[in-house]
Amino acid sequence: MVAEGIPELVYYLGFILVNTIAIVIVLILLVSPRDRKPTPEKRAPFESGQIAVGRGRTRFIIQYYPYLLMFVVYDVVSMFLFAWALNLRSVGAAGTVPIFIFVSVLLFPLGYALKLANKPENW
Amino acid sequence: MVDLPPDPISMTIQIMTSPLFLKIAIFPGLASIGIIAALLTWLDRKITARVQLRIGPQYVSPLGGILQSFADLIKLAFKELIIPEKADRFFFLLAPIFGMVLGAGLIGLIPFSPETLISNLEVGLPVFLAFVTLSPTLVLLAGWSANSKYPFIGGLRSLFQQTGYEIPLWLSSIGVVMMAGSFNLSKIVQAQSTGYVLFGVHWWFIVPQILGAIIFLVTSVAEQERIPFDLPEAEPEIIMGWQAEYPGFLFLAAQGAGFIKLYAFSALFTTIYLGGYLGPGPLPPLFWSIFKTTVMVVVVILLRGAFGRVRLDQLLRYGWTLLLGLAIANIAITYFLIEGIPAI
Repeated sequence: MVAEGIPELVYYLGFILVNTIAIVIVLILLVSPRDRKPTPEKRAPFESGQIAVGRGRTRFIIQYYPYLLMFVVYDVVSMFLFAWALNLRSVGAAGTVPIFIFVSVLLFPLGYALKLANKPENW
Repeated sequence: MVDLPPDPISMTIQIMTSPLFLKIAIFPGLASIGIIAALLTWLDRKITARVQLRIGPQYVSPLGGILQSFADLIKLAFKELIIPEKADRFFFLLAPIFGMVLGAGLIGLIPFSPETLISNLEVGLPVFLAFVTLSPTLVLLAGWSANSKYPFIGGLRSLFQQTGYEIPLWLSSIGVVMMAGSFNLSKIVQAQSTGYVLFGVHWWFIVPQILGAIIFLVTSVAEQERIPFDLPEAEPEIIMGWQAEYPGFLFLAAQGAGFIKLYAFSALFTTIYLGGYLGPGPLPPLFWSIFKTTVMVVVVILLRGAFGRVRLDQLLRYGWTLLLGLAIANIAITYFLIEGIPAI
């Protein structure tokens, strides 16, 4: 089963390799004219025509941080579900009942996290 | 002494005309990806213009300005390469090029007909989704390395947006895996020819998976960063976001990757929900897959004319409540469709 797939994997990796080479070559061929000594104005970061102020990597309020934390946890759930979905017909009820319990148990902390995440004072 | 092949020229010709090489180089491989991405640029502009009661590109060529995108390509190729002063040069150059490679890599997994596919991977669907997952990371990398305010804000928006749509995207495609019992995209298409039976007819997965298909469409538009979910490059708000600092051909690569993803996602939607290359009548399978992909491309482009941009908090809230809830409900519904509703 695994051995059958190996030529296909090689074709695919070959395709990716050819892709990379082709795209890099095309982009190198499209050598744009370059200014050897660009003026500081030319290389300044773009801020809608104004003179750039302060740091480029500005301070940014991470008000959606709770969603990032939730994402780390619940991304794993989808992996487990993929493994279960593939073998759905062979595992039967013995494999399905634990998955249903697993998902439904995880929905409670999700609901609580969403309640916290949607509170403006926690931002 | 090294044993050289008897005739290098005939060997080269043999390799160049082998079916695999032609597939990689012409269709569905490189040449066609480039041309289709350029044509989609034109189609996007033309349809959006029609929706807004404008005409769109019309001068470059006899047929409705169809060569406009190639003219733009030449124009962008001759623009000056400017790298901002404090930018991280290596990652600044790497991000759009790598994004384009990833986009083109998606096409290699799509079966356009039983013969016209580059690789029949056993894990095609998860590989497609895994490649897609990398692209917001590249957007963040592009935004960070430019060291400028608007690209940085665009990159962070892309990161937050990903947390909102990605889990519903994966969960909605699980319904298809459950019905087909395989990750292999060719087997998913074949499963649809003997697929879900209702009223004595075999239906494509769009019928039993209609909820999953809608969620997949919404989340895949969010992945492609198109209106109504184009927050990372919102033009009127943050002047193209992460693409703001890209000059000439790097801008071309950044834009091209978006259109290649539009093509790849439409082809994937066709493959897993609309029966791929299956179709009635004597027409060849290739016709059906291209026809359905074109229809999906037009649908996604029309969304751009029909909706306004969502806010980031709206996207996150609806992604985590409505879309995620519906995706989990879709898995439960699919389970009971397959196993039959248990007698209570």
